[in-house]
Amino acid sequence: MREHRHSPHVPYAAQLIDRRDLSEDTSLFRIAPEASALAELASFVPGQFVQLSVPGAGEVPISPADLPAADGTLELCVRRVGHVTELLHKLKPGARLGLRGPFGCGFPLGDMAGRPVLLLAGGLGIAPLRSLLIHLLRQRDRYGDITLMYGAKQPRLMLFREELAALAAGGGMRLYLTVDFAPEQQEGDYSCAVGLLPDLLKGFRFDAAATYAALCGPPPLYRCLVADLERAGVAAERILLSLERRMRCGVGRCCHCAIGQKLCCMDGPVFRASDLKGIPEAL
Amino acid sequence: MADNFLKTSRLDQFLETLRLFGELHAPTILESGVVSFAPLDDPTQLHLDYRRTQIPPKKYLLPFREEILHCHGGNYREGQSDAGDTVLFGIHSCDLEGIAYLDRVFMADAADPSYAARRARLTLVGVSCEPDDFCFCPEGMQSTSCDLFLNACADGFHLAGYSAKGQALLSAAAHLLETGEPVPPPALSAVCRAPEDPELRFSDHPLWQKYASTCVSCGACSVCCPTCYCFDVREYPVLSGGGTRIREWDNCLFASHGEVSGANFRPDRLDRLRYRFLHKFCGFTPLQGVNSCVGCGRCKAVCPVGIDLRELTVAPEQVQP
Ligand SMILES: Cc1cc2nc3c(=O)[nH]c(=O)nc-3n(C[C@H](O)[C@H](O)[C@H](O)COP(=O)(O)OP(=O)(O)OC[C@H]3O[C@@H](n4cnc5c(N)ncnc54)[C@H](O)[C@@H]3O)c2cc1C
Ligand code: SF4
Ligand code: SF4
Ligand code: FES
Repeated sequence: MREHRHSPHVPYAAQLIDRRDLSEDTSLFRIAPEASALAELASFVPGQFVQLSVPGAGEVPISPADLPAADGTLELCVRRVGHVTELLHKLKPGARLGLRGPFGCGFPLGDMAGRPVLLLAGGLGIAPLRSLLIHLLRQRDRYGDITLMYGAKQPRLMLFREELAALAAGGGMRLYLTVDFAPEQQEGDYSCAVGLLPDLLKGFRFDAAATYAALCGPPPLYRCLVADLERAGVAAERILLSLERRMRCGVGRCCHCAIGQKLCCMDGPVFRASDLKGIPEAL
Repeated sequence: MADNFLKTSRLDQFLETLRLFGELHAPTILESGVVSFAPLDDPTQLHLDYRRTQIPPKKYLLPFREEILHCHGGNYREGQSDAGDTVLFGIHSCDLEGIAYLDRVFMADAADPSYAARRARLTLVGVSCEPDDFCFCPEGMQSTSCDLFLNACADGFHLAGYSAKGQALLSAAAHLLETGEPVPPPALSAVCRAPEDPELRFSDHPLWQKYASTCVSCGACSVCCPTCYCFDVREYPVLSGGGTRIREWDNCLFASHGEVSGANFRPDRLDRLRYRFLHKFCGFTPLQGVNSCVGCGRCKAVCPVGIDLRELTVAPEQVQP
């Protein structure tokens, strides 16, 4: 089990280094944790989360959007939705933050090795999948075909668009983008489909029997995508979902993140669809 | 082995000895008529012949609200528990088992610092009890999850020490004790019956509907449960910059418990009742399969509409919808 350096309550100090606004409500924050945090953070597996503290506001679970950089900094892609994230978005570089983690179980990289991987991201779900994608592309030889299908509501809400296009141009992966709707005057400007992720999946030919699918997005998306994937022949054991619950402690004690008899902060946030069967409140 | 026997007439002196080990707390009756663990300033306040306190002794380990973290100038500092040495006298076996369960949650792995600090300063002295209609622990259950246990008989108590602290208590009180008839070794600790049919937890059994139609989501059943421990965490800014992070008891019967931005995973009362049942009788990671209901009977005693989730733990064919 996890070794805590002193207390599971106390965050490491961290500093906001840089921020880049990705859309009207979502920004990418680069954060430098104090030196003593680096060893623990280096164990990060894509899909795991950290508890980010904004002093005076509170703590929120966030899945890093990249692997820790060589200098130990982390990239967190955060949407402004409420109390804590609102205050985070007001901060300027240099601001003090806190960080605990990484917590939970990430993607089962060992099991995924040698297999095709299909990533399905809806909206902000691209954030955790981006760190997985970066890992897959860095260790390109260890995996089979890599495909990312990413759906956003509108073109201007599509995150990391140029970056993803550049990655796809490198030839290591296939990229399919879709938006729920495109305002007419912009339609021609965007090289992506108009429709929902399940529509994209429908026309997709792939080796379903071997593929690992990794999903992250809003709950309604899971309900239809899991069924579609299973129908296409992907076994429930190989459908990976990153679930979101309200987390308070991150270490299995507050019980805020329970999913059936499992705790999202300990058994998840990445689950296999097969482990969630029969749990009515899971999806 | 010689048995330690304490005559009822010497109980007051024994309590004075216990004070050497910390502030003495014991069951008392408040002016409101509520039975409560409270500081025992005067031995006449002792109300040892009680059935159950309204709030279980978990309040000594998990205060309703506590500061867990202070942040100032970008530095985080752990909140310090101000608890002193406390001797909790007169706890029933069910509540001792309740504490044993909380220990499993908060002391395992990386122990929770505030819980561990309080636990280390707490001395537990159990006493045997008489069940009433609400109790349902296995008959004769006697917990050994304590420092010292007093088994009541006609004219006094047979004492058994279960820890080094318990032995120290016995030595300190040696002059008050005499040798009595040894009592049979206490039954192994056990909690109440597990659900016969664990599938009931997700079933559409009509009892769930019945409960859901009367439950008022007051949360009393969870507040008074010795093994309900879920908590909320909040942070409040302080004027000089930084903030104070607190944690306080939360309640899974409240609608807000299953919220995430844009969704609620347990919007209905039925979902929430089922969730509490699941947690009590089937356990969460890493205590899956561990039944945490210790049979104290509090939830049934306090429920304003008489809901008894235990009906679900008997064989389904016996259940009357
Ligand atoms: C595993 C995981 C990974 C995630 N990854 C990401 C990600 O990469 N990017 C992203 O944008 N989001 C991510 N999220 C979602 C993110 O955690 C939520 O959007 C965030 O918690 C919302 O917090 P908020 O305070 O801004 O919103 P609110 O809705 O205001 O608050 C959420 C909760 O915080 C409570 N709260 C309010 N005030 C306080 C206070 N003073 N102190 C403490 N708590 C308070 C509220 O009561 C509420 O329960 C992830 C969630 C999980 C579980
Ligand atoms: S569920 Fe009810 S009877 Fe069981 S320990 Fe909790 S309060 Fe006591
Ligand atoms: S005490 Fe009774 S009414 Fe109140 S929340 Fe519990 S089951 Fe519902
Ligand atoms: S976040 Fe507290 S138990 Fe999972």
